[in-house]
Amino acid sequence: MKRIIYQTNEGGVAIIVPADCGLTIEEIAAKDVPAGVAYSIVDVADIPTDRTFRNAWEMT
Amino acid sequence: MITLNGTTGITTPDIDSIAGFDGEDLTGDVAAARITGALNATGSAPIYACRAWVNFNGTGTVAIRASGNVSSISDTGVGDYTVNFTTAMPDVSYSMVCTVKGIAGTIFGLGGENHDMTRTASAIPVSSVRRDNGASYDTDQFNVSVFR
Repeated sequence: MKRIIYQTNEGGVAIIVPADCGLTIEEIAAKDVPAGVAYSIVDVADIPTDRTFRNAWEMT
Repeated sequence: MITLNGTTGITTPDIDSIAGFDGEDLTGDVAAARITGALNATGSAPIYACRAWVNFNGTGTVAIRASGNVSSISDTGVGDYTVNFTTAMPDVSYSMVCTVKGIAGTIFGLGGENHDMTRTASAIPVSSVRRDNGASYDTDQFNVSVFR
């Protein structure tokens, strides 16, 4: 399973969770990532599951 | 194999007279009464279908359990998500229904449209907050339905 991540205008990290909708993850990224924003496609295992400090997450 | 040559003398039965068939089976047209009947709807009030829906887990590994006309959800922070539609609504005047599971200890949760963000025809931002103190929290049952 994959996730799409990008940095928000507020400095945080947004994580896009794809639905089973018939689109590829690349198509979902093209559609659902804000225009002009750089993004990465990562494995779901790379996303922390402990959300205690979720609002402090940063992209590295 | 039988080949029909010409039209003289060929007759067909009235489809409506055959048990289990009627004219709709040939034309593809479906009477409104059959649709409302299939939906168990009585009375004459019109029916408006749900145009998009999603049930997702907003805790741990955030994941969509099931959805319709939703391409993804964007997890943007504690209790904050955006539901992205696969096919956009006709405009932004749609109605959204949102429910969330509360917190252990009989603390109710409230789900709704995020005031700080703007809905579009293709996405709606939603949030979950604690009813007792208004703080954002993650819930394992987030449900959103959209009507237009």
